[in-house]
Amino acid sequence: MSLFGTTSGFGTSGTSMFGSATTDNHNPMKDIEVTSSPDDSIGCLSFSPPTLPGNFLIAGSWANDVRCWEVQDSGQTIPKAQQMHTGPVLDVCWSDDGSKVFTASCDKTAKMWDLGSNQAIQIAQHDAPVKTIHWIKAPNYSCVMTGSWDKTLKFWDTRSSNPMMVLQLPERCYCADVIYPMAVVATAERGLIVYQLENQPSEFRRIESPLKHQHRCVAIFKDKQNKPTGFALGSIEGRVAIHYINPPNPAKDNFTFKCHRSNGTNTSAPQDIYAVNGIAFHPVHGTLATVGSDGRFSFWDKDARTKLKTSEQLDQPISACCFNHNGNIFAYASSYDWSKVRTPGPAPGAPRQQSQALGSEGLGLSCDSSQDSHVSLGRSPSPPCKGKLQDFLKWLWGFSTAFGQNPAHRKCSASVSHYGLLCSWAQKHRQAGGCTL
Amino acid sequence: AVSSLGCLCALTVLIRYCNRDFDDEKILIQHQKAKHFKCHICHKKLYTGPGLAIHCMQVHKETIDAVPNAIPGRTDIELEIYGMEGIPEKDMDERRRLLEQKTQESQKKKQQDDSDEYDDDDSAASTSFQPQPVQPQQGYIPPMAQPGLPPVPGAPGMPPGIPPLMPGVPPLMPGMPPVMPGLMMPMGGMMPPGPGIPPLMPGMPPGMPPPVPRPGIPPMTQAQAVSAPGILNRPPAPTATVPAPQPPVTKPLFPSAGQMGTPVTSSSTASSNSESLSASSKALFPSTAQAQAAVQGPVGTDFKPLNSTPATTTEPPKPTFPAYTQSTASTTSTTNSTAAKPAASITSKPATLTTTSATSKLIHPDEDISLEERRAQLPKYQRNLPRPGQAPIGNPPVGPIGGMMPPQPGIPQQQGMRPPMPPHGQYGGHHQGMPGYLPGAMPPYGQGPPMVPPYQGGPPRPPMGMRPPVMSQGGRY
Repeated sequence: MSLFGTTSGFGTSGTSMFGSATTDNHNPMKDIEVTSSPDDSIGCLSFSPPTLPGNFLIAGSWANDVRCWEVQDSGQTIPKAQQMHTGPVLDVCWSDDGSKVFTASCDKTAKMWDLGSNQAIQIAQHDAPVKTIHWIKAPNYSCVMTGSWDKTLKFWDTRSSNPMMVLQLPERCYCADVIYPMAVVATAERGLIVYQLENQPSEFRRIESPLKHQHRCVAIFKDKQNKPTGFALGSIEGRVAIHYINPPNPAKDNFTFKCHRSNGTNTSAPQDIYAVNGIAFHPVHGTLATVGSDGRFSFWDKDARTKLKTSEQLDQPISACCFNHNGNIFAYASSYDWSKVRTPGPAPGAPRQQSQALGSEGLGLSCDSSQDSHVSLGRSPSPPCKGKLQDFLKWLWGFSTAFGQNPAHRKCSASVSHYGLLCSWAQKHRQAGGCTL
Repeated sequence: AVSSLGCLCALTVLIRYCNRDFDDEKILIQHQKAKHFKCHICHKKLYTGPGLAIHCMQVHKETIDAVPNAIPGRTDIELEIYGMEGIPEKDMDERRRLLEQKTQESQKKKQQDDSDEYDDDDSAASTSFQPQPVQPQQGYIPPMAQPGLPPVPGAPGMPPGIPPLMPGVPPLMPGMPPVMPGLMMPMGGMMPPGPGIPPLMPGMPPGMPPPVPRPGIPPMTQAQAVSAPGILNRPPAPTATVPAPQPPVTKPLFPSAGQMGTPVTSSSTASSNSESLSASSKALFPSTAQAQAAVQGPVGTDFKPLNSTPATTTEPPKPTFPAYTQSTASTTSTTNSTAAKPAASITSKPATLTTTSATSKLIHPDEDISLEERRAQLPKYQRNLPRPGQAPIGNPPVGPIGGMMPPQPGIPQQQGMRPPMPPHGQYGGHHQGMPGYLPGAMPPYGQGPPMVPPYQGGPPRPPMGMRPPVMSQGGRY
């Protein structure tokens, strides 16, 4: 079905070869980079739901735009369309049928973008930037939930300019997630509230934060019966808390783990602790991915409480991540996130590290095959652009290749251009056996 | 009567992590190894907490934050404790105080020779709760020698993580509900704050003794006061109803006591709100494994059991998670004065992040606002926010007005690019007078206040030639 009326005028994939002679680490994983990445940091990513054939990726950026790409199985990305806000876009989400995209922006509004007609209309209004937006599909109602820095959570029927409901938050909304019938909202001052959405949204429980630092990202996970049962909460202190709503044994079932930290505690240098910028759960395996300001992404198994994998370090923080609907593709955005207040200068992250750095993390591949092929896209800026605020998405395809663990994969290099695309991805297999490093 | 080994303060040999008593340090060590220092992956028994942590890290690549089966407040895995050695002084003090309390209570309760009880207990052959001979200078009876308290059945075989002893209160053993109330009654009568105790008991947060008779436990007291507000206000849990609520509540209060997840939970102690929430929670958020209604009841009460770290909320001064101590303790101590807003919760306010401790450094600017808020304040990002007088066609927020950002050079916006069409004349509450968002300076405007910004109709200014001046009115609203 033709979603978009027009072809975009974005640049086509580049033609020059990707020169990796320099030690730039914008794409150490050799993942596919998306064409025509936004010009400023990417704040949010979202893949289309399973109701849509194919994979479409939406990214909202600090350049006030929302872009849509089609991602083909080959890994090729085709820019499709774009919409604008008048302020940076902080969150995006899809409707359940894949026909609409909702965008939340610093311009205090949220919009509904009808992809078929490529028109966007405002559907929500707040008194402060809208930080989160989610589509709720309940048996007896559907609505858009927006969380804002104005300390309110509002629910909108897209047909009316007045919210269906307004719930007060204890503080500014920083992140949220929705898997019907559960919604979790994390606010400033480490507020944490769970909502139940049956019949109508209502506050279910306020939870004492399991973390000691500012909340930054949250993602709900499901149990074996595919019902939401808990959430993962990330903070700016390189830590993620796994929290079940009603565990048999809270002290044992709930836990936190450290992540996105540099060095080990055994070294004499102080450990750098980075913020966790995003958490995403694999829709099939239930493993979770975290991305951080340290420029890495990691996969974890929360049930076995093990780390599955950590990527190489990118030269910029990773600001957002997302799995596609079947978990075959993992997209992550590399862009400056202002975690280091000073001007970036050279790589804002820690010094370049080679793959040996992973060893210090104690990385291990899981025994059970977890992540199947993941594709991520990226972009290769030419060296002069490195210090600037360049953003690009990365497609990871076969992250295991970085570790050379899996012999059965193929690589194909591709080309790149300035601001353009680079496609280099590898097919990944199921990890054979298990091996811990 | 078995005397304790030459431990530091001549108290009953105690197991630091779960407050279980042993008369023999060897057995204590065995217990520690089996229950608290055993790797949950390979079941290898280590000797100390740090040893366990290192083992898990090296062998399983897993980090451990807390000592397994430890009561909240005693989960610190970094303390090198072996048997009786290495126990922090404050824990010993606390222990001493608790034992003193118990002694006073039990002495008041029964004016009989302590040694008789000891003999009885000895005959029961339970390794725990074996009372110590009365120390003349101490003048207290070891905790376990409570009348009416059946000797702990098969102590070694106890479920892992014997419920921590509540100071002054006999351990809340699963399966011993009937005993509890019996004990509470007489004790209640004895102690001055007696009447206040039974109602307090049920609602007590894990490991928190009733505040009144526990003067020596400041952190807990304060924590309890904060954390059990609802419960303290529930006087209608008079002794008459004590029996019922107590057992249920005690279970979730001591999550370390292993099998807490059993039946109980009429949760009569829970406030009605919690009850209904718990009830509804069953349907909405199925818990894992054996989540029975029972479990969800107590879990819903008091908000404590929900947390993985109840102790952290109730004992702020104590770093219960060693990992936290590294990054927050040192920073907290140095930057508490600069911490702007008080924490919403009980725990100590995390420090600002610009501090560099000896061991760690948070790569993040000021903690009070998020990265996005900080960034959004930059003039660069406020340039295009709606300003008064710029609303074209009655469309407040968006519009090509205000210019699409300058940094759009590489973006061919010709096709497929339609300017957003926000047709909301009716959207109130749009404060165009606030071009930027300043956290903390949020105007207290609710949704849809009658503040209608001055909409000025007019043709959209021609954008920098990049956007087709199509501003068809959506008209959805």
